[in-house]
Amino acid sequence: MQLEVHDLSKIYKGNRGLLATGFTIQQGELIALVGHNGAGKSTLLKILGGWLIPDSGEVRVDGIDLKNRRALVRKIGFVPETPNLFDLFSVEYNLILFARLFKIPVARIEATLTEFNLIPFRRSKVQVLSKGLKQRVSIGRSLLADPPLMLFDEPTSGLDFDMTKEIYLLLERLHASGKTILFTSHRPEEIKALATRIMVLHQGSLVFDGSPAEYFESHIHQNLYS
Amino acid sequence: MIRNIALLTFNDLAMALKNKTLYLVLFIPLFVFLTLELVDNNGTDVQQIKIGLIENGDYPAGLLESIETAEGAFEVFWFVSEEQGTRWLEERNGDGVLVPTKESGGSLLIVLEKASFETLVIVESIAELQRAVEDRSNWISEIRPLQDAAIQRQMLPTWILMLVLLVGFIVLPTQVAEEKEKKLLLGLLQTPIREAEWLLAKIALGTILIAIAALLLHLLMTFDSEPGGRLSYLVFLLAGGFCFSAFGIFVGFLCRTQASARTLGVLFYLPHLLPSALADFSEKLSSVAPLIPSYQFYQPVRSILLDGGEVADFPLQLLALVGVGLLASFLSWWLMKRRWLM
Repeated sequence: MQLEVHDLSKIYKGNRGLLATGFTIQQGELIALVGHNGAGKSTLLKILGGWLIPDSGEVRVDGIDLKNRRALVRKIGFVPETPNLFDLFSVEYNLILFARLFKIPVARIEATLTEFNLIPFRRSKVQVLSKGLKQRVSIGRSLLADPPLMLFDEPTSGLDFDMTKEIYLLLERLHASGKTILFTSHRPEEIKALATRIMVLHQGSLVFDGSPAEYFESHIHQNLYS
Repeated sequence: MIRNIALLTFNDLAMALKNKTLYLVLFIPLFVFLTLELVDNNGTDVQQIKIGLIENGDYPAGLLESIETAEGAFEVFWFVSEEQGTRWLEERNGDGVLVPTKESGGSLLIVLEKASFETLVIVESIAELQRAVEDRSNWISEIRPLQDAAIQRQMLPTWILMLVLLVGFIVLPTQVAEEKEKKLLLGLLQTPIREAEWLLAKIALGTILIAIAALLLHLLMTFDSEPGGRLSYLVFLLAGGFCFSAFGIFVGFLCRTQASARTLGVLFYLPHLLPSALADFSEKLSSVAPLIPSYQFYQPVRSILLDGGEVADFPLQLLALVGVGLLASFLSWWLMKRRWLM
């Protein structure tokens, strides 16, 4: 898996958003995308996840262009900050609907329910679940098609300590299974514990791209959290 | 493609059931039926009967004299032919037309509805005049209604229009905006479905809801019609369902939230409902109404249900409905591709 991003931009009113950004991500990397609110982190992830249409630039995953959405959805799984599930329906229904749209065997749903400890909640309506459980369903759903690249937008936002730890373990497990992961975060300890590479966005521009060691020694980290 | 559309339509119907939208579509025909049942039981206040007579008609002796003498009860209008009188009646300018018949030596009374309060008043009043002059012949030998329907049937096209527009401009924009607001549509676009499949599923949802509501209304009111008329009616119901479902989806795409979709939906709903439904009662409205897509649905449906019209009589209206539907579908698809207000 290889993700190539060239001169990608998306400008909102007031010159905010993402300014001509470019980078390449290789198979098996676990990358933390860091920056202040409004730095362009979520915008970047939403463009890669197909939620936003960029103003300009080019994105390719294994040579497949971002414009080829129907092919790309099998390459990229996107987990938004707020789970976008059909909350009037059960956990199982949410998984079945997406499995059918992806034409994935129903047996995969059982495996997902087991893998994410969702068996006791399979018939529960999503609206009655805690945010942590909804996040689990959301992640499980995005992994149904087994995409090689996973995008997580602030995966631990609003979660308690136990659930946060669970998400860390999940990210590590997915990384160990060979998936490439790009996640946004505001938590230095999260970045330190998980990331193999760190990218920093500031006012829409990529201002740092390097290893965690380099990042924590750099003035960028000092400025960001001072 | 068909599989995905069926799957998404089922999902939309399940959502309509869960968020109670389906109940709205089922209960409105019931309320309409109950209301009309009550309306039909009320009397009508007829002050003066507007009766049409044919010039040089061979009426029973004493009939013309009696009617003209009873000025307080009758207002007389003269016509050169039965056709002219019938047209006057169809335009709802009068209560009945008396046409002399050679066979019976009496008169044929043409009315709008046979079983109506106005008809009863005409017959009773003429019978009273006949008794007064002690004439034993048949002044009224036959009664012929122009429309053999009660108020329920007269109002049916308006209720059908109301249901179609309700689904189109209230139900669908809200559902589309809900899917946008909760990022459900973006979630579905993370699967290999085509944008067109999602759109077709939504149009199918609208058409199914309209069909359910119309069917329920017909079942409650137990109307009968000719098989040819049924087919024409079905064609226009499907064309209207397609047109206003597509229009409603487009309205939903113009909104970011459910609240704004409800407001915008009403802003489209009323200008489509009122001019079309009231066009029969106003010359000004009848000249404005044809500019509105809803009239291209209302006019043929009214003609098919009440006057025995057929789909072949309204090719332009059918084209207009399909055209507006296609245009709205294209615009929705275009906005969807651009992730408009998502």
